[in-house]
Amino acid sequence: MQFQTVIVTVILILVVIAALLVIASGVWVATALLRAIARPKTDPNSNSRTERRMDGRQQPDDSPHPRNLHKAGRSL
Amino acid sequence: MNPALSAIVVFAYLAALVFVALRARVARDFDDFSVARRTLPLALIFGSIAATYVGPGFSIGFVGRGFQTGFLFLCAGSAYAVQNILVGLLVAPRLRELKNCCTLGDAIGQKYGWSAQIIAGIISLGLCTGFSAVMIKAGGVVLTDTFGLPPWLSVSLIAVITTSYTAFGGLRASVITDAFHFALFAALLPIVLICAMFFHLKGGPSTFFNEAVAATSYGLKSTSPIQLAGLAVSFLLGETLIPPYANLALASRTSKVSKSGFIIAGIFSIVWFAVMTATGVTARGIVPSNTPEDHVLIELIRTLMPVGGYSLLLVALISIVLSSLDSLLNAGAIVFTEDIIKPLTSLSDRTALLIGRRATVLIAAVAAVSAIWIQSIIDGLLICYGIWAPAILPALIIGLWVRRPRPLAGILSMGVGTITALLFGFVLPASKQIPGIIPALGAALAAYLIGHRFGKIKAGA
Repeated sequence: MQFQTVIVTVILILVVIAALLVIASGVWVATALLRAIARPKTDPNSNSRTERRMDGRQQPDDSPHPRNLHKAGRSL
Repeated sequence: MNPALSAIVVFAYLAALVFVALRARVARDFDDFSVARRTLPLALIFGSIAATYVGPGFSIGFVGRGFQTGFLFLCAGSAYAVQNILVGLLVAPRLRELKNCCTLGDAIGQKYGWSAQIIAGIISLGLCTGFSAVMIKAGGVVLTDTFGLPPWLSVSLIAVITTSYTAFGGLRASVITDAFHFALFAALLPIVLICAMFFHLKGGPSTFFNEAVAATSYGLKSTSPIQLAGLAVSFLLGETLIPPYANLALASRTSKVSKSGFIIAGIFSIVWFAVMTATGVTARGIVPSNTPEDHVLIELIRTLMPVGGYSLLLVALISIVLSSLDSLLNAGAIVFTEDIIKPLTSLSDRTALLIGRRATVLIAAVAAVSAIWIQSIIDGLLICYGIWAPAILPALIIGLWVRRPRPLAGILSMGVGTITALLFGFVLPASKQIPGIIPALGAALAAYLIGHRFGKIKAGA
């Protein structure tokens, strides 16, 4: 009987932790969503530059792809 | 239930959805439409992956299975978590590192040539359309059951709402609205479990324990080991890197974000399955034992919640459907443009964007028409799962790891995998005991090895 009480308690704790983790994940994603939609609307290029500054490091894709070479050529 | 209050809650939800979709802004070029300029951060990548895989099967379906077989399905479902973690560790970063790559077909094209890319594109497009039809059907069922609308009207509403923001906003709109949907159902559905277990279940956690033991024992007795193995394989491979997930892997900011997004989504899936199966087990002490599996969650919510709460939960169920549907429509449109049209003809960026938008509408229309004839949501999903893994995965995964893949190997593997899966899915119904995914995967691997042995290396490789 004591063993069953321990198991019931453990299950109870696990279920509550799982439910709280799901809710916490929802809050994390909601925060990211609010940040994404609150960002002022600018032209797409300035938008991605802002993100790069916020990210604080160089992006691996900064070099132009072959498909975008004609666009890169204009700015070079 | 008060229909007026339900209608107000649903309209408030739709207004919020439209606001969020408008803030996501219109895609300006095909790069924006297909990979959102590769600027998506970790939280949004994770939210979108989780919102896409948590469809009707992983919510309503899991609650129903928990109700019938206890925590047995949680064990089978853990294979799904393993799959996501393995994809995060081994495949997603490699995919993200490929240059000039918008789709899985692009990756396959880079490894095996343009003809393999077109074959991969046709398979991916068929799968996205099939999955979309199942999702539209599921959303239609929720609307019809709640408001008493005719099925054709419910199906049309679901298709039109989702298509409107996906066609204009592309991947960014899909990801942003996925985050909105995810936040909504992740906050609401666990509350059902907590309310049910602590306030409505007579005997509380102690009864929960007894119900869990009884249901899981019944599940173990009524499921053969081969069926369990088949389930585990389906969870492990059936949805691996389907086009919406592949697009997210390619659209993340860095390969590290891509890797972490899949790993966190894998860990989250276990927690989610635990909450859903526990909700099903709890429902055993609350709803009548003869309630059909697919109605357990709705019946539980109807019993527990006041009218406003019921409407809110209804909105959460619609969110679950829409978040999967928008990703599938967007992925199908990108695949059509990038893998089927682009290899055949040269397109300007503006034309590609226009084709992508029109393809979104066309796929939604075909899926909506097909949805009316779909008999069972789960059967529809299982057919799609059974085809995808053998058709694409051997060629894709081996191609990413082998130094000089042979085009013949990729084409043979995709062709043989697809045909074998279709044979086991439609022509050989007597083979239900052995899930078709296992022999089809074996055939695809064997075909790959034969093609690798006898094929020539791609020119220029």
